[in-house]
Amino acid sequence: MNEKTRFMLALIAPAALVLVLFQVVPILTGANASFRDWTLHDPKRTWVGFANYIHVLRDVDFLEIVWPNTFGFMFASVAQSLLLGLLIALMLNRRFPGRWLVQSFVLLPLMVAPVIAAIMIRWMFNDQFGVVNAALEGLGITPISWLTQRWTTFLVILLTDVWLWTPWFALILLAGLQSLPPEPFEAARIDAASAWRTFRYITLPMLRPVMVVCIVIRSIDAFRTFDIVWTISGGGPARATELFSLYAYVEAFQFLNLARGSAAAVIGAIIIVIFALLLYRILNRFVEVSK
Amino acid sequence: MKDVAAAPARSKGFFSSLAPRGRTVFFALTAVAVCLLFAFPVFWLVLTSLRPGTGVYYVHRGTEFTIDNFHDVLSQEIVIKALFNSFMISTLATLLSLGVTATSGYMLSRFKGPIPNTWFSLIYIFRCVPYVAWVLPLYFVTQRLNIFDSYWGLVLPHVAVHICFFSWIMKGFFDGIDPSMEYAAMIDGCSRWGAFWRVAMPAAIPGLTALAILCWLYTWNEFLFALILTAHETPILTVVMAQFVHELGMEWHLMSATAVIALGPALIVTLFGQRYVIRGLRI
Amino acid sequence: MADIVLSNVHKVYGHVVAVKDINLDIKDREFVVLVGPSGCGKSTTLRMIAGLEEISGGTIAIGGRVVNHLQPKDRDIAMVFQNYALYQHMSVRDNLAFGLRNRRVPPAEIAAAVSRAARILSIEALLDRRPYQLSGGQQQRVALGRCIVRNPKVFLFDEPLSNLDAQLRAQMRLELKELRLRVPTTSIYVTHDQTEAMTLGDRIVVMKDGFVQQVGTPLELYRRPANRFVASFIGSPSMNFLTVNVTADGDHFSLACRELRFRLPTGRFPDLGSRVGRSVCVGVRPQHIRLGAPANEKHIAFKGTVMVTEQLGDEQLLAVRLGDSEIRIAGVDPDLTLPTGSQIEAAVATDNLHFFDELGET
Repeated sequence: MNEKTRFMLALIAPAALVLVLFQVVPILTGANASFRDWTLHDPKRTWVGFANYIHVLRDVDFLEIVWPNTFGFMFASVAQSLLLGLLIALMLNRRFPGRWLVQSFVLLPLMVAPVIAAIMIRWMFNDQFGVVNAALEGLGITPISWLTQRWTTFLVILLTDVWLWTPWFALILLAGLQSLPPEPFEAARIDAASAWRTFRYITLPMLRPVMVVCIVIRSIDAFRTFDIVWTISGGGPARATELFSLYAYVEAFQFLNLARGSAAAVIGAIIIVIFALLLYRILNRFVEVSK
Repeated sequence: MKDVAAAPARSKGFFSSLAPRGRTVFFALTAVAVCLLFAFPVFWLVLTSLRPGTGVYYVHRGTEFTIDNFHDVLSQEIVIKALFNSFMISTLATLLSLGVTATSGYMLSRFKGPIPNTWFSLIYIFRCVPYVAWVLPLYFVTQRLNIFDSYWGLVLPHVAVHICFFSWIMKGFFDGIDPSMEYAAMIDGCSRWGAFWRVAMPAAIPGLTALAILCWLYTWNEFLFALILTAHETPILTVVMAQFVHELGMEWHLMSATAVIALGPALIVTLFGQRYVIRGLRI
Repeated sequence: MADIVLSNVHKVYGHVVAVKDINLDIKDREFVVLVGPSGCGKSTTLRMIAGLEEISGGTIAIGGRVVNHLQPKDRDIAMVFQNYALYQHMSVRDNLAFGLRNRRVPPAEIAAAVSRAARILSIEALLDRRPYQLSGGQQQRVALGRCIVRNPKVFLFDEPLSNLDAQLRAQMRLELKELRLRVPTTSIYVTHDQTEAMTLGDRIVVMKDGFVQQVGTPLELYRRPANRFVASFIGSPSMNFLTVNVTADGDHFSLACRELRFRLPTGRFPDLGSRVGRSVCVGVRPQHIRLGAPANEKHIAFKGTVMVTEQLGDEQLLAVRLGDSEIRIAGVDPDLTLPTGSQIEAAVATDNLHFFDELGET
């Protein structure tokens, strides 16, 4: 082994150690559990092959609710946050008095723990004492029972996620915008490009690489969301707003069937990996080399 | 050749049809709307924390204000301990994560071939697994290693989680730093390690600062790991906050007070660091 | 008519004055070069004419119309940037057509204009490629194409050749001149390279520290520089300078410093009279110094020690030590061997002497 190789391995050794101990081993343990009959009150751990997987994949709830929920949530949240984040980044890219103040406000959600935000927004949408219903009443509209129906609950969860993640998009897109060279924009001014045409033909193409990275990362994370859904609805009403991670959690900790929970989680993992690869490929095709 | 430039640029569109004054007003209104939107839940949080326990159910209508909630909360030992623990853990996790991922990102940036490719694929794949798949086994692992419910039991898993994302971003930073400085250093007698530590790292400081701020905030606010990997020995702020509402009944006012206290350090770090984050994230 | 008139144009950034009181009259179809060192204000001036910078004071008029408050798109100008500023994500054809499309020109006319521009610049084969697939020279041609496709009144060039290597630069200079013949348009060209300025400009504007130092044709600037800065800036290798003291000596002036002593008849150099008892700066171009003894009494002679020689093939350049100063001599016979330390004798015709006080030429 030559010196260069030794250096390379030395560089990643600490990271590799931590990764193995605290990510690889647990994942493998979980995967191992998914192939066995492992319930917490009856840890026999006999090998059952794919029985758990088949059970999950046959589960009606899983197919008709969890699957569309998770993807729907992912698309909706990422799309909204991206759009809003882009608009805010464009706004913050100009110089105006009080910009620092607006920027600080936009960063507020990043400081708040997601759980706290979830609790707070759940409280705001409380049907009896929440401020949203109070405002609706004041406007003469009948208050909505937010958290007892599937789609309104979904809306609240979506709102929380968008509230939490738009600043992240805005920040990264702003950094991207500020690193763009000014000359093509000056040429566009001389070329009589309107604000919209400049945005569509010049800004957007140049921002695409950054946007692709953001979309991929955020999509993967949205897929794995747990805290805010658990806090706002607990997966209800009647498991109607369960996402993948909640389904796995419920199986493992509420039905105390660690094996099935792990199986569900593994299925989810495989789906995300495939999806992330696909997404990366598709989006990359739209990314031009810009230098 | 006809004079094609004679055609004036007729710009349609809502935005351009507004007089310059109108445009400023529209812009200002949007800015205000954005501020309100993002500030409102936080504002509500602060308001709730200032209401006495009985007044919490009419937060928007009551007129009583009190800081008793803060007194209550700060007099509980568990809260003070949690504050301290969260702070220590966030800081430790940040330092370790940066250290471990800086070398990893550097390797991915400066070298090509099967080893970097394998490493990158590895960390990319393992990042995609949902937490739930390995959080309970993680519980067992930390028990085995005897670090459950201690600082290391929480810090190390956090570091593991950060490895992929941060390595990716660190790679970006190092990609943007000209390697010829390191070659010059090596010709001048530095070892590879010395070139990394003395030449590449200082140049990456803006990026490192940005990541440090993001990492600290993330760990400070994290919930799931804290919930599962700690028990009574090491109270963590986010868990303590949530417990006011789940386990001990619906004490919104106390939770809000704790949350506002928790916001304090986060606020300082964000306000101070936002400039660095934007500058440093210029990938 | 596309003449450009700058009246008392003035630009400040906060407390820093970038451009001070520029007055310039550029005739229709004239090719004017703004030249000067970095920070002299030439790019700022160009950008003010383009409308990319606000004008702090004064007026700019294009074709008789004051354009101070007009947007760049309404000034009927086109601009070539130093780093081309092409739209990287559009094909070359779309790059050329973009400005016309924004102005709602009918597609048939756009196609005609684009193919005409492509033909003139010989880039027809590149129309469907993207800018990042092209070489530097090709990209610069596309940038030029973007200019001519709209047939504007004015062309503006912001150091367009600075990013090209030396050989390509020389070639592009020729192409620019050829382009001028085919599409004669009022042009303002900014550069820091005096060779580009001399070869391309009908008239040259030399700038320094925000001021115009001199305006004139290349030959005027070469033969009659208004001050020491212009003299040292124009011409390569640059002019040699020596400070000498002036004393009256009957019907001659005696000019002397430690290294040199010579006399000039008062009749032919009357202006030196005002410098008697003081010092004056003498400038001589390296190209005007001949090795050997003076040919007649209209020459002055001096001796020096050879320090460094540079062989250029058809001539040699010498750096010669004269006391404490170093003089450069050009046009030396390439076959002469002049080792370091050898003594040489050289002469200069008095007609080729330039005199400067602290500010201008006498």
